[in-house]
Formats: sequence, structure tokens, C-alpha cells
Amino acid sequence: MTSAVQPGSDAEAILDRGVRKIGHMLRAREVSASEIARACLARIRRHDGHLNSFITVTEERALARAAQADAELARGVDRGPFHGIPYALKDNVDTAGILSSSHSRIFADRVPAEDAEVARRLAEAGGVLVGKTATFEFAIGGPAWDLPWPPARNPWNRDYLPGGSSSGSGAAVGAGFVPGAVGTDTGGSVRWPAAMCGVAGLKPTYGRVSRRGIHPNTYSLDHAGPLTRTVEDCALMLGAMAGHDPRDPGSIDVPVEDYAAALTGDVRGLRIGLVRHWYASDGHPEVVDAVDAAVAVLRSLGAAVEEIVLDPLQDYVDAKTTLSVSELYAVHEADLKTRPGEFGRHLRTRVIGGALIRAEDYIQAQRWRTELVTRAMAHFRRFDLLVTAGWLAPADPADPDGADFFRKRLLVTMPFSLTGMPALVVPCGLSSGGLPLSLQIGGRPFDEARVLRAGDAYQRATAWHHARPVLP
Amino acid sequence: MPEPRPATREEIAVMARLAGLDLSPEHFEELVGAYANLEPMLWRLRRGRDRADEPAHVFDPRKFMPVDPGTGR
Repeated sequence: MTSAVQPGSDAEAILDRGVRKIGHMLRAREVSASEIARACLARIRRHDGHLNSFITVTEERALARAAQADAELARGVDRGPFHGIPYALKDNVDTAGILSSSHSRIFADRVPAEDAEVARRLAEAGGVLVGKTATFEFAIGGPAWDLPWPPARNPWNRDYLPGGSSSGSGAAVGAGFVPGAVGTDTGGSVRWPAAMCGVAGLKPTYGRVSRRGIHPNTYSLDHAGPLTRTVEDCALMLGAMAGHDPRDPGSIDVPVEDYAAALTGDVRGLRIGLVRHWYASDGHPEVVDAVDAAVAVLRSLGAAVEEIVLDPLQDYVDAKTTLSVSELYAVHEADLKTRPGEFGRHLRTRVIGGALIRAEDYIQAQRWRTELVTRAMAHFRRFDLLVTAGWLAPADPADPDGADFFRKRLLVTMPFSLTGMPALVVPCGLSSGGLPLSLQIGGRPFDEARVLRAGDAYQRATAWHHARPVLP
Repeated sequence: MPEPRPATREEIAVMARLAGLDLSPEHFEELVGAYANLEPMLWRLRRGRDRADEPAHVFDPRKFMPVDPGTGR
């Protein structure tokens, strides 16, 4: 790469100001999209060798696209808040003419002819794609050291993992390489890396963002969502991604709100159900303290918080895992039968058992899902939002021989996956080891606006989202 | 209902064969390990619902109507 941008240059400083402020400066001609793109590329070149967040950096395309964004603004064409904003896509999202590997040897040379719908929408909104990010293999098999690309590392401490499966998207946003990145989330894969990397991550309602052109994990649970530094940026990026796609059978035709306009900073009178038992019993003590403190902030801002009890986490995890393993096996059956050795060990061991799950078990899990979702939704008669921890522990060490955390820990993200509710993760503290801790806010289906409003109000009252890692 | 018991290696081998898997010894060991984790989860699945209780996935035939290339709808 070649770039005139220097470390700590004005353009790099502007990069840290967020989507709205970058947009203001672009429109005021105080900076160009080309300068911002070069600042991103410079940071990636300087630091990503330590973090492995990108599989592909699309430098030439990014600079050409940024030049186009500048030219459009110069002639009065403004595509909206995402115009000229750099972003990254998880590598399981198809991009025309660009490697889309899903971080797997199986797809190591796969270059699609068409963009995924979410990639098309972000390009249409004027965004500047700077690259494709690392993931767990096919968004399930990782972190893995036996794949063609190494696992991404946590920007807060590269000896730790960034969560997953949208591991590179979380690391790239946490490191400040890009203001926003797209992740996918089946059981927590946007929210977990957001939690581990100290950024905001939103799993929208099931059906809110098109999944067409995204490699499937679990058809009945797959979502795509934004990871950004702030909730405001999350709202702006979701606005560019969301909308009905008649070619995605899971897409639901509900009007897209102006999410950024909903960020009033006011949570007075909001009724919040606190699901404390999900994190109080199994959460790391520092997580418990940080989330309790965050809830106290929401209370102090005027929200009415009441502790409630939902079904145990284990119930959601069992139902979700039965569905996922069955559907994952259906997706990968042909390759698992003919070339199992080309997958990483983690994917094989997580998916191959799906061959032995009976159809009856899958249907019973779907019926149990109905029951769990109905009971969870009933709480919205009394509450506007549900709040709990974003993850139950700080980041795990990057240890190839470490315990499989899918088996050692319940996933507090899964209830929101199974119910399809929107759920937002925001940073709410740092552990004694200097690793991010997080809060999770869930809401009614298609009520992203209120979820984002609460998260934004929390960020206006606190400073955790301003904390930055010192990059290696 | 009798107390469930873990599947034996021989039973897993039969299930794998019926599922069409022809695994190397190394990959068969991975399957045995994976199934040991899945099996208790399957036992925990709640059953015994009313026969009319439907699964969470609902078929909506409108989703599969052809899309008009002009309008995108």
C-alpha cells in the first residue's frame, strides 16, 4: 500500500470522531472521503499484522470508491449519512469480484459474481468498503489455528481473543481501523465480539436486515447487524442496511425508521425488565458489578427498572443448539461427507454431530422455541426493554489448546437469538485486566429505535465508549 | 420413560453409517466426542406438549411468489 497519511495525522484523528461527525466534515469540505479512506488503510497497514482482523484489504477499490464519493459530493449528490464512510464486511458476506471465503479452506478461492443485499445497500448508501474481515470458519468453527488464515486477536490485548464469530469485524472496529463493520449473528456473533472489543453491536430483529448473499449458518436464526464505536453510529449504519428484501424469504416488510432521529437521550419513564439471574449466577464477578452499575445509571436517568425472571439460560441454549447443529449439518453435509479434512477441527466437531440428530428432536426444539419465545414476549406487556449482561466474562486467552468456550460457558446472547428480538451490546466497564465488559439491551420486535435510544442515553451519561486500546 | 443411557461407540458407528458418513478413524473419534456433548442436550429437550402445539417455523406461501424485476416487489 502507498499512502501519504502519517500516524496521528489529522485524517486519522478525524477517523475516531464517528460517522456523523465525519459526515459533517465531508460536507463542509474539511476533509475528503479519499483522505479518510487513506487514514483507514494506513492504520490497517500499521497494526493489523498483530491483530489479523482482515482477510482481504480492498485498497484499490476503496480509494476508487472514495474518489467517487468525493466527486459526487462536489456535484451535489449526497447519498446520506453513510456517504464516504469506510466500513468492512465479514468474510461470509458475498462481494462481487472480491474473495468471500467465510474463513474456510473450502471457499479459499471463492469470488462471487454478485454482492449480498446488505453489501449492495451499503454501497448504494455511499459507503467505502475497505476490506473483508476474519470470522470463525463459516461463522461457527473457531477460533481456529488450522485454517488458511489465523484467528483475529483482541485489540485491547493481542494475547486474548476478540470473541466471535464476527471476530475480525469486532477487532477492526475496536482497533479504530474502520468506523463500522458488518457482522452476522446466529447465537451472539455480532454481540460477543462487540462485548469483547469494547464497541457497540446490534443484532436487529429477525427479518430486519436481508441475509441474501450471506453464507447461511442456521436459516431460522441468522441475522446481520452493525458493529460501531458508538450507538449513534450503530443507528446510522443500521439505517443504511435495513429494509425489506423480497428475495430473502426471512425478510419482513416493515418500514425502516429514522433510527438516529430516535436518539433523544431521554429514557425517563421507560420500563425496563432486568434479567439479573442470567448473569448473577454464572457471570464473572466483575461482569456482575459492571452490569449492576450500568443498570443504576439507567435508573438514575429516569428509567423504571424492575428485576424479572425468565426461563433459565440453559433452556435457550439447548433449544438453539439443537436447531443450529441440525441446520448447520444440512448446510455442510456434502462437504463433510466428501472432504471432512478440509474443514478445521472446530467446525467438524461442532457440526458433524448434526448427522445424528433425529428429525423429531429438531421439531421438538422448534416447538420448545415457540414456548420460550411466547413466555419471553409476554414480558413486553409490562416492560419496554429487557436488560442483562452482554457476555458473562471478559475475553478468553488466545490459546490453541484452551477449553472450548462453547462448552464451558452459557451464552447470554442466545435468548435474543431464539426470540428474534433486537438486542444491543454496549461497553460498560473494563476488567481488572483491562478488558471490556458490556451491557445488553433487548426490545420488542422491530423496536430497534427504542433499544438504540436507551443505549445512546447510557453512552451520553458514561464514558466507556470513549476508552481506546493502545494498539500493538 | 426409562432413564436414557449414552450411546455406545458401536451404536454411534451404526448411526453414522445410516446417515451416510464414512469417516476416518480420527474423524470418527471427533464424532464420538461431539455426540457425547450433544446427547445430554437432546435428553433435556422439553417434550410432552399438546399435539396441536406448532413449531416456531411457520410456512408463509407469499414469501415464494416471483419477484417483479422492475419493481423489486
